[in-house]
Amino acid sequence: MGFRVGIDVGGTFTDLICVTPSGEVILDKTPTTPDDQSAGVMNGLELLATHVGCSLSDFCAQLDALVHGTTTADNTMIEMDGAPTGLLVTEGHRDEIEMRRVHKEEIWDPSYPAPPPIARRRARIPIPERLDVDGNVVLPLDEAAVRAGVQRLRKLGCTSIAVVFLHSFTNPAHELRARELIVEEYPDVAHISLSHEVMPKAPEFERTSTTLVNAYVAPRIASYTQRLTGKLRDAGFGGQMLIMQSTGGVMPPEYVSKRAVSLLASGPTGGVMGSTVAAARSGAPDFVAVDMGGTSYDVCLVRDGQPVLKTDDNWRYRYYIGIPMVDVESVGAGGGSIASVRQGALLVGPESAGAQPGPVCYGRGGRRATVTDADAVLGYLPAGDTFAGGRMRLDVDAARAAIARDVGEPLGLDAVDAAWGIERIVNANMANAVRRVVAQYGADPRDLAMIAYGGNGAVHAWAQAPELGISRVLVPKAAPAFSALGLLVADYVIDLTRAYVTPLSRVDVARVKKLFAELADEADHELAPANLSPDDVTRSAYALMCYPGQNWDMSVPVPDGGAGLDEPGLFDLAGRFHDLHEADRGFAFRNQQPLLRGVRLAASGRTPKPDALAVVGTVTDASQARTGARPVWFGDGWVDTPVYDGAALAPGASVDGPALVEEPFTVVVVAPGWTCTLDAAGTYDLRTATNSA
Amino acid sequence: MDVDLVQLAGQRGQLGGTSDVDPVTAEVVRGAMETVCWEMATYVSRTATTPILNQSNERNGSILDASGRLAALSVGIPQFMLSSALPIRFALEYLGAGEFRPGDVFVANDPYHGGGHLPDYNVFAPVHDPATGELLLIPSIQCHHGDTGGAVPGGYNVTANDIWGEGVRWPVVKVIDRGEERRDVLYALQTNNRLPGYLGDLRAQIGAAQLAARRLTEIVERYGADAVKSSVDYMIDYASRRFREEVSAWPDGTYEADAYVDHDPLGNPDIHIHVKITVDGDHLRIDYTGSDTRDEIQAWSTYGNTRGYTIAQIASMMDPAIPKNEGFFESIELVAPLGCVLNPRNGKPVSAGTHHPGADIGEVIAKAFEHVLPDKAVPQTYKTGIPTTITGVDPRTGQQFVDPSTEVYAGWCNAARGMDAWGAQAASFGNLWKATAEINESIFPHIQWGRDYRTDSGGPGQWRGLCGSHWVKQVLVPFKLYTYVVGMKYPMPGIAGGAPGAPNRLTLHYGSDHEDVVAHTANWVPHEAGERLCYDYGGGGGWGDPLDRDPQAVLDDVLDEYVSVEGARRDYGVVLTGSLEDLTLDVDVDATVALRAERRSAA
Repeated sequence: MGFRVGIDVGGTFTDLICVTPSGEVILDKTPTTPDDQSAGVMNGLELLATHVGCSLSDFCAQLDALVHGTTTADNTMIEMDGAPTGLLVTEGHRDEIEMRRVHKEEIWDPSYPAPPPIARRRARIPIPERLDVDGNVVLPLDEAAVRAGVQRLRKLGCTSIAVVFLHSFTNPAHELRARELIVEEYPDVAHISLSHEVMPKAPEFERTSTTLVNAYVAPRIASYTQRLTGKLRDAGFGGQMLIMQSTGGVMPPEYVSKRAVSLLASGPTGGVMGSTVAAARSGAPDFVAVDMGGTSYDVCLVRDGQPVLKTDDNWRYRYYIGIPMVDVESVGAGGGSIASVRQGALLVGPESAGAQPGPVCYGRGGRRATVTDADAVLGYLPAGDTFAGGRMRLDVDAARAAIARDVGEPLGLDAVDAAWGIERIVNANMANAVRRVVAQYGADPRDLAMIAYGGNGAVHAWAQAPELGISRVLVPKAAPAFSALGLLVADYVIDLTRAYVTPLSRVDVARVKKLFAELADEADHELAPANLSPDDVTRSAYALMCYPGQNWDMSVPVPDGGAGLDEPGLFDLAGRFHDLHEADRGFAFRNQQPLLRGVRLAASGRTPKPDALAVVGTVTDASQARTGARPVWFGDGWVDTPVYDGAALAPGASVDGPALVEEPFTVVVVAPGWTCTLDAAGTYDLRTATNSA
Repeated sequence: MDVDLVQLAGQRGQLGGTSDVDPVTAEVVRGAMETVCWEMATYVSRTATTPILNQSNERNGSILDASGRLAALSVGIPQFMLSSALPIRFALEYLGAGEFRPGDVFVANDPYHGGGHLPDYNVFAPVHDPATGELLLIPSIQCHHGDTGGAVPGGYNVTANDIWGEGVRWPVVKVIDRGEERRDVLYALQTNNRLPGYLGDLRAQIGAAQLAARRLTEIVERYGADAVKSSVDYMIDYASRRFREEVSAWPDGTYEADAYVDHDPLGNPDIHIHVKITVDGDHLRIDYTGSDTRDEIQAWSTYGNTRGYTIAQIASMMDPAIPKNEGFFESIELVAPLGCVLNPRNGKPVSAGTHHPGADIGEVIAKAFEHVLPDKAVPQTYKTGIPTTITGVDPRTGQQFVDPSTEVYAGWCNAARGMDAWGAQAASFGNLWKATAEINESIFPHIQWGRDYRTDSGGPGQWRGLCGSHWVKQVLVPFKLYTYVVGMKYPMPGIAGGAPGAPNRLTLHYGSDHEDVVAHTANWVPHEAGERLCYDYGGGGGWGDPLDRDPQAVLDDVLDEYVSVEGARRDYGVVLTGSLEDLTLDVDVDATVALRAERRSAA
């Protein structure tokens, strides 16, 4: 077995993780190269090669797998610089994408602007054609209109074309024919997205939005992955490259470039996948994963070891995304969040100083007070040059002056009270974000652990947990490179659906079985390049069902991949649907006939997992790792707080709060009343007996 | 049983927290309370059984304090969130705080006890200081139900002679008594409602109110009752201060405007709303004296409804960051004489009034301010227009269906200064989530042939109003149709020199040789299988003089077919050369300058 490498491209840093053939874990970072992320990836590989003491080409030759997380899709949507995109759409439904089912983000602000268009109205071509709800042709496809429309899009400079016809997920014939016509008329078109392939289900606005985003980002993804695979090949890489998707699974570039929309938010998803592995090893199946970086705070609920998937009401960059995604929700709260007083009210974020110019205390030119400045003033972060593994010096005096000026003076507070005000506001914002996420799934935060990661997660968890009634916090030592770790531990995941909309009583069992068989073949085909042992592949078949009139559907498990389905099996499905609905939504209409919306097959292939997630020290008596003490503000006066060198601690070592455990890229703040123990998995396990909320 | 609603809506005292609360604590408590509102609404979305609640988002969470003041609110529709406070205040003042005991939950829906119309049910529960037992807060969740008893299903008996004909009135009933369900009361509620799912949805609301009460109790325990009281006082005072600061920046003066509803559901024409707004320093007076008082009309907006619509429009004209609470109500002097359409005497029917004349309040306020505050005068309103109800028998099920036509369409969204109108409706309705063709075609026997924007229907202006939809629906079985159409004679007005949007129009038997454009109502008109309906929704008004619109923007609009080549010339004075078909359009600069000069001198 050779090396396995995870590389996650973030906004500022490209995180690296490497598991050596002997099971050793190497973590590092290299600056992200925004203009061409593949350059940073290659720099990272060079760095890892240096760590293991060989040349890049030798290293690449010994690489079994490179698992990659990229922000290319997200960056394309942030910058809105994707491919010029046109839309061929059923006549009469040209404007669904603008009407957005009436939704607007700001109900109190009539001047809030429209989302930037992916395809302006002139590039949305109405095509006479129509299917009914059962997929019967009501109006045949007007092929001449398709040809003329493609020529018009070509004239408008569109290089990517989306096709959205109503009910195409029930009968794709018109969309498939349109693709043939597009290729005939426009052989060098960069990309074609058919709605029934991107999101094979109703309703039309959601599918139109998802398909347009897919068409918009796909050419960028394709050119990026081609560029990267070319560089890797040139460097001698012959292993398998895999890319993280927003479902939390990985697949090869050929698979994901057809489903570019599935790469949105794959970075935060990597972090969540890392947290599931770390939490499993620390015995915490139900938890909330919180990632506090420089500009944002990402929250995800994990139940029974599985991150929840968002299948409804999923907006990204002001577009609706109708494919399942790990539900990572983000609020603008991070170390770089700027504190200001506006009309007498203290605001923290969403405006951020980011990494450049950064917080005032970093001394990189930041002038405005931030959360990290408050952290420094209150003693959570070390003054002087022991921060970030000695790579950065914190100027606490400058932070104090900025806070006094930006917050203290307008509110009539001294610098410490002003800094504490910043802490309280940002912690409350984050706690409220956690509440909103878990409330959507009917969970109670008091039943959950919290896993805190990102550069600032461990600094703030102590204050958020009591707000939420959480009495256990986990901080993995690998936390700063968690997104990269998540890449390495993620399994192959493919998730395929076929629509078949009909009341359950009228379902043709043979047709359902045929659809499941098709999905199984497709899954086999897609997973073949991975050369997985059959023991490592699991398949779960589901019927997608709802009550008539519902917008969403639920996945009802179907035994043995649907192969053995019969009439009584359908009857069982109805019962299981009622039960699931009652468990999840609190009610069931047992005398109502459920509607079948389609079938779904989720297949996953297991990938090897590293034994150890982090390197640990040898000191079991924590007092021997004590490096000093400093005054820390926990809200009620300065407390002289001992400081420990986290790198020295061995599993089993334990400290009582108040305490600070310093790690190379973060500080674990242990509040009074809490105990922090390093467990065997290399994770700090913080617990308190008091449960405040 | 006549409740003086003006008195009920009057100013109430502070909670009188004694601690000198700091702005940070007040902000933290406010954030926690708004999150509770959000959790209430989410609880209903998750557990309610009917689409209007679990999909369309017509559920409004709010929190009142023990003085009956609005302390916080969250997601929903501004007009309805703001009108949901008075029924709770009535209950509080009628019963007295002593009858609000820990574990109680109440239900109220009556328009003449503070509500908007009967289908809107408020469910609320008290929160006490665990240490002293003092009543502190009352979280409330308001939901629109699909029925409320009365003579016709659905809660919109727009031809009822009086409120009693519209449905069952529940000024306040206790449904949970100190944690124990009052089975007699719940049974009575269900018995007076046609829908079997009604009680399930009411239980979703009860669960939400109980969740909120538990969460707010946690917040009281965490911060202390005194800090919570002081925080509520602080945030209301803060909103009030910010409100007055905004008003101070408005030019002093008296501004009047009129708006009209085409007719009521009986066909009584030209329902009139008049407003006289006085800005005097930081004082804002809104006076509806002079509005329609005809006794025979059939469209009345209750005082609570009028108040909610008024505040929603004013709030849209201010800094969106001001917390929405009692500070808004306290800062406006609202005059709506008893007996006018905006404050009917007890007993008048009101089910149509939440739409018209209620919605027209936003329009009349925006019109009054159009020359004084042109940047902010964007009406947050709609011309309900074309709410059809279609019934027939679905051959797929053999059952009768009732299609309330709640699909997506665009209409009546005005431009703002610097921004063309976009989307489908005014910002206030941004939390709504309307139905789609693909889902509704699986429920109802019809085909939706389209709902594209209608070219040239958006009101011309320096910034363009939103185009309305051209929506064609073909019903595949024999059916009957009921409708009440307004916005034909009085479309959405333009602002500050902008032109009005196109009017509404509903055509029955569309495309046949006996097309019939509805004049005001259609009362269960029979149609044959396969007949089509055409709903041409009105556009939004434009902002500013269309002759000032950038010719390049007009060219873009023509390329996008929001505006036709002829419309560019007629409405904007922009002359184009080339052809849309060949994508060779361009502005004829000289001809445009000349034409615009000619138009201006003619005007």
